[in-house]
Amino acid sequence: MSAGVIFGGPSPEHDVSILTGLQAGRALSGDATAVYWDKLGSFWEVDTASEAADFLDGAPKGSRPLRLVAGGAGGGFVTAKAGVLGKDKPLSVDAFVNCCHGGPGEDGTLQGSLDLAAVAYTGPTVAGAALGMDKLAFGAAVVAAGLPSLPRALLSAEGGPPLFDGPYIVKPRFGGSSIGIEVAGDWSTAQALLRTSVHYRSGGVVVEPYRPSSFDLEVGLRTYPSLQTSAIARPLRSSGSAEILGYRDKYLGGDGMVSAPRQLPAQISPAMEKAVFEASRVVAALAGLRGVARLDFLVDGDDLYVNEINTIPGSLAKYLWDMPFATLLADMLAEATAVPAFHYDSTGADGLALRSAADIASKLG
Amino acid sequence: MTVAYAVLLAAATGAAALCGLRWLRVAQREHYLAGSATRFARRWWLGTGPNRLMWLAAALGFLLSVVGLPEAGVVAAAALAVGPFGLGLRGRTSKLDWTKRLRRLAITAGAVSLIPTAVAWAVGGLGWGATLMVAAALLSPLVVDASLALTTPVERRLGQPFVVAADARLRAVHPDVVAVTGSYGKTTTKGYIAHLVGGTKTVVPSPASFNNRAGLARAVNEHLVPGTEVFVAEMGTYGPGEIADLCAWIRPRIGVITAIGPVHLERMRTEERITAAKAEILEGVEVAVLNVDDPHLAALADKSGKRVVRCSGRVGGADVCVQDGVVWSGSERLGLLADSESVAPTNLACAVAVALEVGVPAEAIAARLPTLSVPRHRLSVGTGSTGVTIIDDTYNANPAGGTAALSALRAHAQDGGRRVVVTPGMVELGPRQQELNREFAAAAALAATDLVIVGNTNRAALFEGAAGGPAALVTVETRDEAVSWVRDQLGTGDVVLYENDLPDHYP
Repeated sequence: MSAGVIFGGPSPEHDVSILTGLQAGRALSGDATAVYWDKLGSFWEVDTASEAADFLDGAPKGSRPLRLVAGGAGGGFVTAKAGVLGKDKPLSVDAFVNCCHGGPGEDGTLQGSLDLAAVAYTGPTVAGAALGMDKLAFGAAVVAAGLPSLPRALLSAEGGPPLFDGPYIVKPRFGGSSIGIEVAGDWSTAQALLRTSVHYRSGGVVVEPYRPSSFDLEVGLRTYPSLQTSAIARPLRSSGSAEILGYRDKYLGGDGMVSAPRQLPAQISPAMEKAVFEASRVVAALAGLRGVARLDFLVDGDDLYVNEINTIPGSLAKYLWDMPFATLLADMLAEATAVPAFHYDSTGADGLALRSAADIASKLG
Repeated sequence: MTVAYAVLLAAATGAAALCGLRWLRVAQREHYLAGSATRFARRWWLGTGPNRLMWLAAALGFLLSVVGLPEAGVVAAAALAVGPFGLGLRGRTSKLDWTKRLRRLAITAGAVSLIPTAVAWAVGGLGWGATLMVAAALLSPLVVDASLALTTPVERRLGQPFVVAADARLRAVHPDVVAVTGSYGKTTTKGYIAHLVGGTKTVVPSPASFNNRAGLARAVNEHLVPGTEVFVAEMGTYGPGEIADLCAWIRPRIGVITAIGPVHLERMRTEERITAAKAEILEGVEVAVLNVDDPHLAALADKSGKRVVRCSGRVGGADVCVQDGVVWSGSERLGLLADSESVAPTNLACAVAVALEVGVPAEAIAARLPTLSVPRHRLSVGTGSTGVTIIDDTYNANPAGGTAALSALRAHAQDGGRRVVVTPGMVELGPRQQELNREFAAAAALAATDLVIVGNTNRAALFEGAAGGPAALVTVETRDEAVSWVRDQLGTGDVVLYENDLPDHYP
């Protein structure tokens, strides 16, 4: 099987996605194909031996431009023809490991494009990605499934305060779990942030109660060859005074999330541990998981709350699993081809409506 | 005789190739402007005694070869191959970069030299061919300038697809476009705008030195990511019409002019012409943001016919003012700077005006003021390995900045310590170059205990200006020599100001 990785993407997490993608590219045995998606939206075939710094000014020198061609069979990535006599050459890749965090790589946009181009990929489907990226919808789905979750409400300049009191955690409705997160003491302070923060410019903003005494737990989930949960980790805040776990804590240690500080396994009671695993299995079914996901919880005293899901987590959450990264990737790739992300169904479109129809002009009358 | 002419042809061809490389490098550094090679050739060949002698020898050798002395021609070729002294082939600070454009120019220059030689050889024999090749080497700067004139329209055509792509991307991304120009302070102002707007809106500033047609097209094509709300384009100008041409496809809504000064006078001749060229940025805009402390811009503000936001470094009258570290929007106190000393007040006032115009709330601007950073090389202060305080103003190239830097030198001086100014002087000041460098040297000689004059470009004018003052005068050939002098002579308690630095295609 010839494997590929796809990473980058026009998203705030573009840089971290490159780190994940390069790690995955190295871990895949043999000659994996690396596809880089730049900040402007163009695709490039790059050398898997590239280093992170090679991407400081976009695609590294010598990268070959790619086009993504939709249209079922015959679709996929092609290297653009060079010169007058050149020919489009399809990239022969059986399945891609999707390493694009945040933005269009994790919200269903890329997934939909790859579906239309008949390209197999790891990670969430269009629907799973879209649900996972929408904190408001995901929270509602969790509550509907009877799991504990902190209440979430849409923050708007006109709207009145929600049913719960401040202080609030304010975060973008869509986007990664660590960018643009603020604490606001009350509703009007939160509303003021709408005008001043670059992270709240589009897509909406949500608030939830801020619990200073709470801490985070995270667990890895994967669905192939069978549903499995990883050990539970407790991420730690490196900067003592920080109110919340930020982008800096998670990613700026050097290797992305691999080197972020954490307690693994987390020192929690057996009852809490059991609750985490049970909730994880419910969420896995709820969100139609595929590939490797990371589910984040909040713990406040004895209470456990499902917080957010990360359907393409940093470093693909490899640090949570007691197995080689190569094995994790191989299983994901096997799932990508064995359980296609999309399934088009034209049952019932049997031509009856076409045969019985009169001419179109008569229908317009 | 034939052998002698064959040797001459070979020597002259080699010399022409070496000369060509030197003046191609100068042309590249001077933005491929036709005329620049000849201008710099005069500077180099006529600058010092040895170079003047060398050039005379070369010219004489050429004349003798014309009247039948090929050996003299070989001497001329040898002189042209090595001279002028000081102008390297590859360059240290400004290396020759074999871009596609330079290759096209080199091929053209080669053809301009070789075709007359070949014709002369075919018509008049080897002797004529060889002699004409010596002429090509001797007149190499003219050959390069002629090639520049020939290729400029072609290069424009070749760059057009990139401009078309940039135009399309600007329409698709549709950011609010701010254009910034001025004789100085453009880059600083652009940086301030990006910083003040960046917390609230997604902003892309054009990268440093991408300020012409090709550079801005590239900046848009490579950096204007989808979702960009504000694009800040820095625009430079070397002649009338250039900024109007940029604005035709960049279409700024807000135009900023930071200052008018005697920079590029060499090409623009008068400050009135500079003002007119910069004012092209206002033609299609909705809002003009002008530094009205500059008399040229104050006059422009009164007659521009646009909505003008007047910016000033003094409180009183203007719409946005920055004085003593306090930022005012009208009569309202908008915010406070953490470090007012290193911030350029009029540039910041312009940046604040732009931030307000693109819709950043005043409180968000105030929140970003304390973290305003100083661009590297623009009057930054550090400590050297010997303990000497170093004021780095090497990127400044204008008299107003020079005066500000001398105040900084006084401010950092310590009792009993030496105050040193290291400078090659300022260039591109046209007819006023001598006068302005004399004035700067006179002021420096009062502020400093020692004045270190680097290189030959402005040596005479600086010497003259400083002659009456109390400062001791030191002359060195290169920047490196100046740095070693500072290491040897200065230590803790002393302060040195590096004022301007010239790339090594200047004598």
